[in-house]
Amino acid sequence: MKRVAITGAGVISCFGDSAEILHSALCNGEQASYQIDFDECADSNCRQGGRLPSFRAESYLPGKPLRALDRTGRIVAAAAKLALENSGWTPEMLSRHEVGLVLGTMFSSMHTISAFDRHGLTQGPSCVSPMDFANTVLNAAAGQTAIWHNLRGINSTIAGGTASGLMALGYASDLIRHGGQTALLAGGADEFSFEAWCGFERVGLLCRSNGHSEFPVPFSARRNGFVLGEGSALLMLEEWETARERGASILGEIRGHGSSYHAARNPDGAPEAIARAMKAALKDSRMLPSDIHCISASANGSVLADRHEAMAIYTTFNGSSQSIPVTAIKSMLGESLGTAGAFQAIDLLQSLRSHLLPAIRGLESHEPEMPSLHFCRQKQDIIGNSGLINSVGIDGNVCSLVISSAPGEDTTINQEKPC
Amino acid sequence: MTDRLTVVVTGLGMVTSIGTGRQQFWDALLAGRCAFGRVRSFDTSRYNVHLGAEIQDFDPHSHVLELDPSTIGRTSQLAIAAARLALTDGSLDLDKIDRTQAGICLGTTSGEPHFIERFDERYVQGEILNVDQGFIRGYPCHVVPGNVARELGFEGEAMMIPTACAAGNYAIAHACDVLRSGKAPIMLAGGADCFSRITYTGFARLGAIAPEICQPFDRNRKGMVPGEGSAMLLLELKDHAIARGARIYCEVAGYGLSCDAHHMTAAHPQGEGASRAVTLALQQSGIVAEEVDYISAHGTGTPTNDRLETIAMKRTFGEMAYKIPISSIKSMLGHTMGAASAIEAAVCALAITHQQIPATMNLHVPDPECDLDYVPNVARKCNVKVAMSNAYAFGGNNSSLVFRACLA
Repeated sequence: MKRVAITGAGVISCFGDSAEILHSALCNGEQASYQIDFDECADSNCRQGGRLPSFRAESYLPGKPLRALDRTGRIVAAAAKLALENSGWTPEMLSRHEVGLVLGTMFSSMHTISAFDRHGLTQGPSCVSPMDFANTVLNAAAGQTAIWHNLRGINSTIAGGTASGLMALGYASDLIRHGGQTALLAGGADEFSFEAWCGFERVGLLCRSNGHSEFPVPFSARRNGFVLGEGSALLMLEEWETARERGASILGEIRGHGSSYHAARNPDGAPEAIARAMKAALKDSRMLPSDIHCISASANGSVLADRHEAMAIYTTFNGSSQSIPVTAIKSMLGESLGTAGAFQAIDLLQSLRSHLLPAIRGLESHEPEMPSLHFCRQKQDIIGNSGLINSVGIDGNVCSLVISSAPGEDTTINQEKPC
Repeated sequence: MTDRLTVVVTGLGMVTSIGTGRQQFWDALLAGRCAFGRVRSFDTSRYNVHLGAEIQDFDPHSHVLELDPSTIGRTSQLAIAAARLALTDGSLDLDKIDRTQAGICLGTTSGEPHFIERFDERYVQGEILNVDQGFIRGYPCHVVPGNVARELGFEGEAMMIPTACAAGNYAIAHACDVLRSGKAPIMLAGGADCFSRITYTGFARLGAIAPEICQPFDRNRKGMVPGEGSAMLLLELKDHAIARGARIYCEVAGYGLSCDAHHMTAAHPQGEGASRAVTLALQQSGIVAEEVDYISAHGTGTPTNDRLETIAMKRTFGEMAYKIPISSIKSMLGHTMGAASAIEAAVCALAITHQQIPATMNLHVPDPECDLDYVPNVARKCNVKVAMSNAYAFGGNNSSLVFRACLA
């Protein structure tokens, strides 16, 4: 079976635009400084979240007019630019090879769709913009990015709620392992939108301030909802031997993944569904729970989901859950929806390579009802080369992915021989 | 290297403007029934076109049995209906399979647009603080496969691939990959889209909607006609189907996916990406061009698509393009968006099963630029062992699926 090499990454995040900067900020315990800039939300209880403090598409995408791209398209094209550069793919190489793009996203072009529709309602259907219509399709950002960077391979958009980014990575890795593909950008993106913010706020999923400005702390007893952020993150995935032949730097490997859906007929079934996804990921990776050295949890401050995930981690890693450090980087990044799983994958790989796992910012004591996991309260050294990432959606989608850092010259390689 | 595991189609379900369920749909298709009429679901008086292909008299209560239909959008209702029809058609006893592993993969263009349309109506009326509580649970497109999963109690992967008008093909392709990787005993794969004001507005603004009829490849064609619908295919590995005594329609032999990376709404002028998708699909299937007996075209009826699609077929097949019958069922159903290629996949399975192919209706004046055998106006008996379905989408997404008669 083919192996999936990770040869680079591109990140547009509130902390900066490289995997190294992101990881460094997370290890320093920095908190996202998103900005909300509309008045309609003034009387809401949520005081956190919003857009990237500064994103200038022109600085990543020079040379051609950006007018045709909406904001989602711009952040994706920017992350793609960074990922291509980071993995050593030049425009000349892209003209000779068909590199694909798999983008996970929860809302995609929702804001563009909504603005287009509102314009039609108020000004009349003959006044809408054809250029805006082109961006109303949910695969618009992926299509625009492909045009911008000449990505002529498989171009796919994956929607699985907040698990979209991780599902996209799983989908892309299968195209390489089983589908004969050799190079794909894969990851996720979601822009912050008023529409999303409004929708989440209306059903009480966003964190509520208690009179002071408090960023949600996953797993803590005080949590009452998540912070809505945004970003984009793409990994360059390549078939291992092809990557080696072209002299690429292999940073790590996607070992396997698993997905499940919690049908919610049985409200108590959520931890079991999450555990099933994790076990499926381990089975797909041909690994045991004891092969996992750290966990990047999906937990974002949601009351139910954080608890369910903790229970699922406990049962999956039964016996060793006390010793595997668990981090939750949404304690700093907030919830970036389709981007989340890709941010987690990029940071987990950096953690494995640097042997340093970020802490769960602000976590003093976890909720007493939760099983006692090894929650990372301080950044900590990690030994070992493999980690597991979870994405637990609010609507029932669950995905888990296993990543290993690439072996160094003095490390015994722990995998089966490729076919 | 081991032989690739064979994926087979064992059940078909669809809800369309010309018929619901396999038999009714196929009979209507062969009879050339067309579903075009004045749009009823919203007021088109401010538009310069009024034609649509809506489904009349769809009763969600007949098909949505576990969930409350009023809590889910129309696209989910259509998808659930098609799913249940496919399961019944495939005689699949849900109690006999491991539902914790069974998965759903769908394609769509718009997801559940009525929710965002309602949001927008409130917004422009200054009522935004009263946004519907159901909005965030009902709107994002991934809830459509999620709703199907909830209805059926499926707990494997539930994925939406919103690659617009090619999405059904992407969903079926992915479902095949999931089955071959051993992760699911069965997959339901297809596509769904309901009639959308937003979609209609956009195509109307582009001048892409025909005023009276959809007539792909006709010299006087004036555009596409937006429609709605859903189709689901029950897919499983061949050994699994044989073991449970399932009736097998055909094999999904392979797929090819590519991106033009050229323009958001216009296809590559030389059909480069489309041609590549066909070639990849044939390669993956281990089939040569000479073996293709029928092609279900994308064939939207716009002047540009039909001309460029013809170029792409000639580029791919050379002189042989003139020998392969190609028809567009959009001439009858209009453009069902994300459902289109799923419905067309079902058509390929039925063509192989019944050795008949549907016509391209309303094709009265041949276009010298579209001079292939587009099966004008009359369905025909045809020896079909290998059928191909092509679908193209905004964003430059190209897709081809190949179906083959199953050898015993």
